[in-house]
Amino acid sequence: MAERLLRTLFPRGAVVPMTAAAIWWLASSTGLLSGPIAVSPLQVIQTPFLDASGRELWAALLASMMRVFAGGLLGGVAGLILGYVAGMYRAAGLGLSPTIHTVRQVALLAWIPLLTAWFGNGEGTKLVFTALSTFFPLFLATEQGIRQVPKPLVEVAQTLALRPTTRILRLYLPAALPNICVGLQIAALSAWIGTIGAEYAIGNGRGLGSYVASARDQFRMDIVIVGVFALAAGGVLLAAAIRLASLKLSPWNREI
Amino acid sequence: MATFGAEDEFSVAQAAPNVRFAKVKSLVGAGLLVLGLPLALLTLWWAASINGLVSPQVLPQPDWVVHTFLDLLASGDILTAAAVSFRRIADGFLIGATLGFFFGLLIGKSTTADAYLGPTFRALAAVPSLGWLPILILLLGIEESLKIVILAKACFVPMAISTAEGARNIPAGLTEVAQVLGLRKRTRFLKLTIPAMAPFIASGVRLSLSQAFISLIVVEMLAGTDGLGYMMVWGRTLFQLDIVIVGMIVVGVVGFVLDILLKRAESLIIKGSGDG
Amino acid sequence: MMNALSIEHVSKSYVLEGASRPVLKDVNFQVRHNEIVAIVGASGCGKSTLLRLIVGLDDVYRGSIIRGGPDGSASAKVGMVFQDHRLYPWLTVEGNIDLAFDNTNLSASARRQRVRYYLELVGLGDYARAYPRQLSGGMAQRAAIARALAQEPDILLMDEPFGALDSILRMRLQDELLSIWERNRVSIVIVTHDVEEALYLADRVLVMEPNPGRIRDVFEVGLPRPRDRGGFGLSDLKKRCLSTLV
Repeated sequence: MAERLLRTLFPRGAVVPMTAAAIWWLASSTGLLSGPIAVSPLQVIQTPFLDASGRELWAALLASMMRVFAGGLLGGVAGLILGYVAGMYRAAGLGLSPTIHTVRQVALLAWIPLLTAWFGNGEGTKLVFTALSTFFPLFLATEQGIRQVPKPLVEVAQTLALRPTTRILRLYLPAALPNICVGLQIAALSAWIGTIGAEYAIGNGRGLGSYVASARDQFRMDIVIVGVFALAAGGVLLAAAIRLASLKLSPWNREI
Repeated sequence: MATFGAEDEFSVAQAAPNVRFAKVKSLVGAGLLVLGLPLALLTLWWAASINGLVSPQVLPQPDWVVHTFLDLLASGDILTAAAVSFRRIADGFLIGATLGFFFGLLIGKSTTADAYLGPTFRALAAVPSLGWLPILILLLGIEESLKIVILAKACFVPMAISTAEGARNIPAGLTEVAQVLGLRKRTRFLKLTIPAMAPFIASGVRLSLSQAFISLIVVEMLAGTDGLGYMMVWGRTLFQLDIVIVGMIVVGVVGFVLDILLKRAESLIIKGSGDG
Repeated sequence: MMNALSIEHVSKSYVLEGASRPVLKDVNFQVRHNEIVAIVGASGCGKSTLLRLIVGLDDVYRGSIIRGGPDGSASAKVGMVFQDHRLYPWLTVEGNIDLAFDNTNLSASARRQRVRYYLELVGLGDYARAYPRQLSGGMAQRAAIARALAQEPDILLMDEPFGALDSILRMRLQDELLSIWERNRVSIVIVTHDVEEALYLADRVLVMEPNPGRIRDVFEVGLPRPRDRGGFGLSDLKKRCLSTLV
């Protein structure tokens, strides 16, 4: 009976983190820790609410999310359209695809020095960078999705003499949707980490990345931990949200 | 059976050269399309930089970039940076992948271990290298140890996940045979477990090396003093965009070659393990 | 135009490894209005290729294919039912049938009415909102037939439409096809490897042979409908048919 109670209160998965937290708390309160890591778990939890610098978390999160949304939309739509064209028309595919795939080989962060030289250290660079991080996954996913539309269904469209708009809306896009949704998940995560990475690298302005960067410069480990936690949590929530949206968009795949 | 009439023979003789010509024509056409966009961009780049429309600090001339590349190559800068970077990846991979392998084996084979360790692992894995960076910088500074730890983590996660997947997916039928035959533990490990897991391990190696390369760039750019990633930051600080562009191309090429080699190796191992 | 469909001297060959392989050689036949013509033959005799040429999925051939409308016009609407139902998985049964009206100027309510009509015609009235994955094989194929009929084609082509179904279901769908045809007159060209099916459904049966694909023989069935599957007339014809095939 007692074991059952213990099991529900402390599920096995929570044992390790709770033990670690307890050890941390003990170490910090007995003064075992010194230097930058001399923060206690309670302090970390309070920071985003009570600490003056810590409280900037919320504005920073908002700023980052807006950037992700704006830049992500820009790059995502571009990737969708170009991916559609490249997947549908062989000539366009040959003209666009190899070049885009080659440019894609360059690790994303490597673009930052070039972009800051072109667009400065402000909003421009961050937005372009976010757009880039969503462009490639969506281009790839859409191109693949369109290419993989089953030929038999295309033949039906031909025998029914469907209009071009109907073909796009009722055949090609729905058929490519599973691929596009996977691409969306990758793009969303890429945009989230990318934006914050850009903010961190550039260091100024408002955003989660600069929030963490200044905390690091001031040796505020508690704020850094808060920021990193927000980074991870934000990514998980974003991925889950996109997954949910994907399921909603494809009701025909669900078990009824 | 089919018997060709006289007119059919005529069309046979006609068909062959037409087919070959059509193939060549379509190949040339395809080649032109593929090169179209890059050549157009290159021309634009050349025109804009030569006319002084944009300052050379923003857009260096293409031929300067080539010169810089050759210079850096000759002076050994690129090779040194590459050597440093690859050494780091190797060190990080050795530590991270090995630990990841054993950890993955543990949580793959034991559901109890998975119940206790799994959720924590997955939560920590959700933190990207970028997230670990500031924490570790405060703890370790920007010494070599920082980079090795980040790379080790980057290799640890995919390796653990793939190994766990492999451990969970050893065909139950083969395990039963091992039981019936009364195989010794050692034989079972060498002749059943490892071969059955080979494709997953290969996949894990590929994923961890790919991740490692990306994390390498991240850490060298944001907390680096040398290496391929640092080369671009260095060029940017000097406002020498030709160095930056050379760096980007080198990073792109290395990434591409790495990807191809890894995919080739992985498919070889998968084929060799006789999946069927 | 006397005939709904007129195939004259149609030949097709494709090039493989530099040599020309004939697929169809000098195919000639006509299909009258509201006639059911069946094409039987072994695999490789080009019967599916012929259908694809008629519906326009393929337009490389020699000879002429004239599709005549009932009012004497030279261009008729051709609909097609494939062996796999090819319903769009993300559209309901209703949505799939509605595709047939894409090129018309009907109002939304008129479309809805017609979709309902064709749904009832194939007996799927209760399944309007169902998705294809919720339908059985026979139901899905019926939906595909409804979609093709909704186009109101002058010629309906069917490429082994019941081939993927079991024999009992097949017989039931054959009867349903006939009753639909009685209510909704249209010329049908049905390709099948099942000689009994051909003789049960068609007014005329064309027997094709492969290498190269050409018409070997034509049988006038001439029996009134409904036909007795086990009857003497059919079995006699079947014997003669099979003897030309083998």
